[in-house]
Amino acid sequence: MTRFITIFVLTLVTLFAVEMLNPVQQHVIIPFTSFLARLSAALILPFDSSVMAYGKVLQFKDTGFAVSIEAGCNGVEAAIVLIAAVVAFPGSWKARASAIVLGFLAIQVMNIARIISLFYLGNWNTDFFAWIHLYLWPTLIMLDVLIVFIVYLRYLSRSEKQGEAAAG
Amino acid sequence: MRQFLLYVFVLLIPFFALWTVASGPLAIPAIGFVNTVLTHWFPDLVNTLYVDGNNALLMTEFGEKDGKLVALDGAEYRFGLQVNTRILSYSLPFYTALHFATQKEEYLSSYVWGLLVLYPLFMIGLLCLCLKELMVGLGVHFFEQPGVWVPDANLIAILYQFSVLIIPTLAPVILWVWQSKESPLIRMAFEKK
Repeated sequence: MTRFITIFVLTLVTLFAVEMLNPVQQHVIIPFTSFLARLSAALILPFDSSVMAYGKVLQFKDTGFAVSIEAGCNGVEAAIVLIAAVVAFPGSWKARASAIVLGFLAIQVMNIARIISLFYLGNWNTDFFAWIHLYLWPTLIMLDVLIVFIVYLRYLSRSEKQGEAAAG
Repeated sequence: MRQFLLYVFVLLIPFFALWTVASGPLAIPAIGFVNTVLTHWFPDLVNTLYVDGNNALLMTEFGEKDGKLVALDGAEYRFGLQVNTRILSYSLPFYTALHFATQKEEYLSSYVWGLLVLYPLFMIGLLCLCLKELMVGLGVHFFEQPGVWVPDANLIAILYQFSVLIIPTLAPVILWVWQSKESPLIRMAFEKK
């Protein structure tokens, strides 16, 4: 466990520092965040004609309420935590890569749900929006990371047992 | 795992509700600590950091006139910065929900130990948050203090981002995993490694 936590913390700090670099922000994080905004808009627009989208912004035509999806709202930090945990835990690189790709998708599905729910919540009540946005959703996203990681550990454990049974 | 998750979701509601009500008083020791650090570190810049409802208010030794930062004696009023302590302290109800949702032989003493670990992280996070507010709010006045060591802007930015985006959600999880090593859920997950 001590080894796991040491590698985890080192990987986490390294990836987080890399994410903060200007070139990474300009060429990866900001375009990815804009993509998330466009994807959220594409999911909402067929069902709600009172919504319009431009750039990183989603806006209600009638009330004027708008949300801008910024860095920090893109699930990248949660993905970094998952990557650090997967890398720190012993396993084959194939299993690690699969866990990272599937885990990233799971985080982003949750994050899109977060963006859309916050957009509608904000139009209803801004105080409630702020509370859910700042405190509850980050907690739920981290729970998502935890669940993905525990499922991955169980998968590893099962694979090993099956491998041992086949060898025996 | 399903039972654990069910308990976490059920417990998140009352613990977050309690924290919403109690977050102001909960932050008082942290605000007192950061006030002591900042007023000694930047005596020419920071007047005081005090509790303001559910937030903290960081009062500077500068004033404001016509939207510009000026010396206090020529100002209309003292320049202050509002600091939201809740963006750091929500780690406490999150940890509480994780802790009490897990099957354990004893709950109370490990919970107190957990709080004793999380609260200093909250204090450090608040210090980083105040440093970022001072950096953004005071600009060159913050960086050009004769005889005072001021951290690099990039370091403050990284510490702030780490304190706000990572620590409040990650620290409770790491602490919970560490304290629940012997619980069936974690043992099953980490077995054979």
